Amino acid sequence: MVSTLIDQNDRFLGILDRLSSKSVEDYYNPYKLFEWPDSLPEDMWWMSPELTTTHGTAAAERLTEKQLHALSRHESLNFYSLNVHGIRELLIDVTRRIHTKGFETPSEFFHHFIGEENEHMWFFAEFCLRYGKIYRQPGGISAEAPRPDVESLLVFTRILIFEELVDHFNSKMALDERLDDTIRAINRIHHQDESRHIAFGRELVSVLFAEVRRTSTEQELDDIAAYVKRYMTYSFETLYNPQVYRDAGIEKPQELRRELLESPARAEFERSVFRKTAKYLEKTGIIR
Amino acid sequence: MASTGIEDVRTWILSRHPERDSLSPDENLIESRLVDSLSFVELVYAIEGASGVEIDFDTIDIQDFQTLSAIEKAFFATV
Repeated sequence: MVSTLIDQNDRFLGILDRLSSKSVEDYYNPYKLFEWPDSLPEDMWWMSPELTTTHGTAAAERLTEKQLHALSRHESLNFYSLNVHGIRELLIDVTRRIHTKGFETPSEFFHHFIGEENEHMWFFAEFCLRYGKIYRQPGGISAEAPRPDVESLLVFTRILIFEELVDHFNSKMALDERLDDTIRAINRIHHQDESRHIAFGRELVSVLFAEVRRTSTEQELDDIAAYVKRYMTYSFETLYNPQVYRDAGIEKPQELRRELLESPARAEFERSVFRKTAKYLEKTGIIR
Repeated sequence: MASTGIEDVRTWILSRHPERDSLSPDENLIESRLVDSLSFVELVYAIEGASGVEIDFDTIDIQDFQTLSAIEKAFFATV
C-alpha cells in the first residue's frame, strides 16, 4: 500500500507537506496570467534550434533558414500537443487513485497535482489552438502490468519520465532570448510547477520501487527495467512526428523521420534529454 | 504493388522480433505481444510508410491492426 510506505518515511512526509504548502503559496490564475497576441511572427525560431530534431544532422544542412524556422514552429506545436496528450493520460491515472484505499496520504498533494496539470493542459492546448493546431496521437493499446504494485510503479515512473523530458525543454526555452515572450512565458511557468511535481515523483517512485524490488524475482526486475528503457525511447521518439515534417513542407516525411532517428545526432540528443533521468533511474536500480 | 507493401509491414514486425522467422497472416499481433502499447505508433508509421496512406489518428479502429490480413484489408486494398 502506497500510504503505508509513505507513512513509514518521515523524510517523504516532510517533503509532501512542503510541496503542498508551496503549491498553495505559488497558486496563480492561468486564465489571467498570459498575454496572448493575435499572432506570433512566423519567420523566427519557435523552439530553440538545439532542441529541434534536425539539429546537427545532414538534413538540417539541406534546409534553408526559412524552412528550419517553419519546422521549429510545427515542432513546437507538436511538443505542446505531446504535453496535452501526456497530461490527459497522467490525469486519468492519478484521478483513478486519489482518495482510494492505499492512496490516503498522497491524496492532498494529488489535489494540487491534478489542479495544476489541468491548468497546464489548458495553456498548452490554448497555445496550439491559437497559433496552429493540436497534433493527434494514436490511441490504441493499454499498457499491461502483472500486479497492482508494479502497475502503480510503472504509472508513476512513466509520469516522471514524461515530466523530466518536458522539463528539459521548458527549462532551456524559458531562458532562450531568440524565442517570443509568449513562448518563453509558458515554458517558464510550466518549469516552475513541474519542479514540484518532479520532486514528488522521484520520492514516490523510489519508495514504490523499493517495495517492488523486495517482492520481485530477478526476471521480473529485468522485465521492469526493459520496459522502462523502452518507454524512454518511445517518449523521445514522439518528438519525431512525420505529420510535423509533412506540415513543414517536407516531401517524404517518413523517410526524413527514419533518417533523423538513425543519425548520430539523435543518440546524443536522447542522452542529453535523459541525462538526469537515466542517472536517477540507475541509482534507484529501476534500470540496470 | 499492394502485396509488396504488406510484406514491408511483415518484415518490419519480424525485424523487431529476431526470435521469430515467420508470421502468418492471421496471427493476432496484439495478443501475441508482437505489438504493444509502446510499439503501436511505430506500427502505424510503418503502415503509412509502406502504403503511402495517411492514417487519421482520430478514427483509428484497433480491429484494423489485429492481424496482417486485417492490416492488408484496411490499408492495402487495391479496390
